[in-house]
Amino acid sequence: MLEIKPIFNSLRRSKAGALMLLVQIAITVAIVSNASSIVQDRITYLQESTGYPEDEIFSFRVFTYGTDVDLLQKFQENETLLRNIPGVISATSVSEVPVSGSGSAGGFSDEPGLDEGKNIRGAYTEGDETILNSLGVEVSEGRMFSADEVIHTNDDTIVPSIAIVTRDFIDELFPDGNGLDNTMYVGPNPVKIIGIVDKMKGPWLQDSAADNYIIFPKVRGRMVQKFIVRAEASERANVMKQIEDVMLADYNKRVITGIQGMDDAKEEYNAGDILMMRMLVSLIVMLVLVTALGIFGLTVFNINKRTKQIGTRRALGARKSAIVRYFLVENALICVCGLVLGSAGALYLGQALLTEYSVPELNNWYVAATALFVLVMSLLSVVMPANKAASISPSVATRSI
Amino acid sequence: MFLYYVDMAWRSLKRTPLVTILMICAIGIGIGVTMTSLSVYHMASMNPIPSKSDELYAVQINTMDDGETWWSADNLPYQLTYQDAMNLYREDLGIRKVPMMRSGFTVHMNKEGFKPFLAGTRVTGYDFFEMFELTFLYGGPWTASQEQASTPIVVISEELNERLFGGENSVGKEVYLDDTSFRISGVFKEWDTHIKYYDVNNGAFNNTEQVFVPITLMESMELETWGNSNGWKYQEVRTYKDRLNSEILWLQFWAELNTPEQKKKFESFLDGYLNEQSKLGRFTREGDSIFSLRDVMQWLEYNQVVDDDNRVLNGLSFMFLVVCLANILGLLLGKFLRRAPEVGVRRALGASKRDIFAQHIVEVSMLGFFGGLIGIGIAQLGLWMVRETYSYYSALATMDLSMLLAAPVLAIGACVIAGMYPAWLVCKTQPAIYLKTQ
Repeated sequence: MLEIKPIFNSLRRSKAGALMLLVQIAITVAIVSNASSIVQDRITYLQESTGYPEDEIFSFRVFTYGTDVDLLQKFQENETLLRNIPGVISATSVSEVPVSGSGSAGGFSDEPGLDEGKNIRGAYTEGDETILNSLGVEVSEGRMFSADEVIHTNDDTIVPSIAIVTRDFIDELFPDGNGLDNTMYVGPNPVKIIGIVDKMKGPWLQDSAADNYIIFPKVRGRMVQKFIVRAEASERANVMKQIEDVMLADYNKRVITGIQGMDDAKEEYNAGDILMMRMLVSLIVMLVLVTALGIFGLTVFNINKRTKQIGTRRALGARKSAIVRYFLVENALICVCGLVLGSAGALYLGQALLTEYSVPELNNWYVAATALFVLVMSLLSVVMPANKAASISPSVATRSI
Repeated sequence: MFLYYVDMAWRSLKRTPLVTILMICAIGIGIGVTMTSLSVYHMASMNPIPSKSDELYAVQINTMDDGETWWSADNLPYQLTYQDAMNLYREDLGIRKVPMMRSGFTVHMNKEGFKPFLAGTRVTGYDFFEMFELTFLYGGPWTASQEQASTPIVVISEELNERLFGGENSVGKEVYLDDTSFRISGVFKEWDTHIKYYDVNNGAFNNTEQVFVPITLMESMELETWGNSNGWKYQEVRTYKDRLNSEILWLQFWAELNTPEQKKKFESFLDGYLNEQSKLGRFTREGDSIFSLRDVMQWLEYNQVVDDDNRVLNGLSFMFLVVCLANILGLLLGKFLRRAPEVGVRRALGASKRDIFAQHIVEVSMLGFFGGLIGIGIAQLGLWMVRETYSYYSALATMDLSMLLAAPVLAIGACVIAGMYPAWLVCKTQPAIYLKTQ
């Protein structure tokens, strides 16, 4: 019924062309399945929530070179100054900004001794009682620290005795669920965990401990200080424009720099991944296009070459549908061989990439889906030229002989 | 003869416009995609200082206790402590060597109406400029004695000189870095190094510094680092002085070793130094001293400056190119074989197999040439996309002359490879068969 034997015979006579098609299809399957697996992995990563209302928050840095002011006091005044800008919800002077790609991290333990207990890595920042409001997150368990618990100092070695932490961090340090109001240790210094925030990302989204974040109630007046401001999303751009002038009008022996929305900071941090994703998507699209065009071109050629045979078959009584079917079956035969080869190639390539580079493991479903997709695409590329072939009139075959 | 072949090829390409366009597009897209990722790879993996990349060595020493590990491939820390860097620097060995650290200042002129700005600064030794081939527009580096006396003296870039002094010779003039007045000792010409190979800690493709000040100011001015500080040991660090004496790793160190003898001498010096430190009880470790000297290219490789994504993309694009070739090969087979009768006539009229082969190769080369041109266009578009998405790569995502030339060469080469088999098939044609049927 499917005339496989004559098709097979005729293919054997033009091996090279068929082989090229097979190679194309095989490599296409191998590349597309691996590339789409990587793309899917990046999309999942990029869509992950940071826990913050990113479009409301922005941050900036202050480099003070003037030595005639008390910075501790100056930054407290500046917080008030910033909060008074119309549209601003909250503003806090902090030591580090989350999602910015720069920050501080250290090891935290559940035991006081230096070499005892666990050592869990976590990033941290310092700020006053307004910091959670400025970050747009809330304590879900326990409590936030109050204004009189905040330490104002320029001594780097003072470790506050209380802290707010993320759920991921506390679960890692105290897996039994008794972390709240328990004590963790920074070197020999005890710190009581008074509150838990469900989700807030640290400074490095790709860190192995990206969800471990700790907030200490401490304010410093350093030469390099950072501010986090939260404003109405619609007002944010407007507020950002005023920041430099407002801050310099208050005191001008300093430089205001790095005024950046949190969503932009996130995009900048992830730019490498976004780039990889776009490159791979372009690669997939072009590859599929080239392969489809190749199949199309090759079929057109085959039909031109066989005009006489087709005409003869039609003259001998073959229906149009038989002609179309012939090309579809021929293509499907090659395609299936290519798909089998390509699937094996895809799995091999996936393994090779996995061992050599930091890419996710290739899921077999990607290979299957890609194979199906390529088969459909291949058949679709054949349909048009095959239909054209079917309309070859039987008289063509008889005319020139 | 060649021109005749070109003419024949042109006619042949025009005869089947659809297939010709398909083939040119296929090769164009293939080359475009390949060149896009290859250009970035090429720039990222290019030798930043070809004239002496094998004479400049990044120095690493292991001063950690037994059992301590690091996240580098060989467990050596990437950076040095202040005390080690300065000890190595101060030893007179008759070679150029410099410690360095990344810092930054607020630059201003201490007058009304001048808006201060920030500038990344490299804190280093006076030999830096000679070692890393910076050329001076005005003046020169500070001297050894100025460095020893912790003089506030500065070398700035041409760009900064333009911004501060409108491009005039500013040697001897004053500029303020934070609240200290610095005298300018030299202005260096634009330094074209797209890889910041001497310090890859904070991104190898970030901009190089515009301001250079003597390393001895670190202690006297208590300069803060703008780079990474790493520790492996809990130490109480209360003051800046504590930090200088601590085991915190935050400086880089480079040595210029022009001959194998110098290298050997420096290695034995490092060995002796580490043994001495071990005896002093700095660290507890049995066995030989551990250190490493890597030249520029080894250093870039060791720090994995070309990232995985780039390599993966590169591999995938080359596979993509193979698909395009298979595509073209298939189309050429069809196209050339259909021309067998014509070739039969030419053969009968005296054209040799070689002539036929040459003519067909010329034809595919033409395809390759046009494909290469389209490929360059597509690659430019691709690189523009790269620059738009990832500003960090903006210095890398360009095609230099070698890449521009490589595009058509690669395209023609690929097409010739694809065209060989079809051309060979067609020149095997037996003239008799075709003459008979006509």
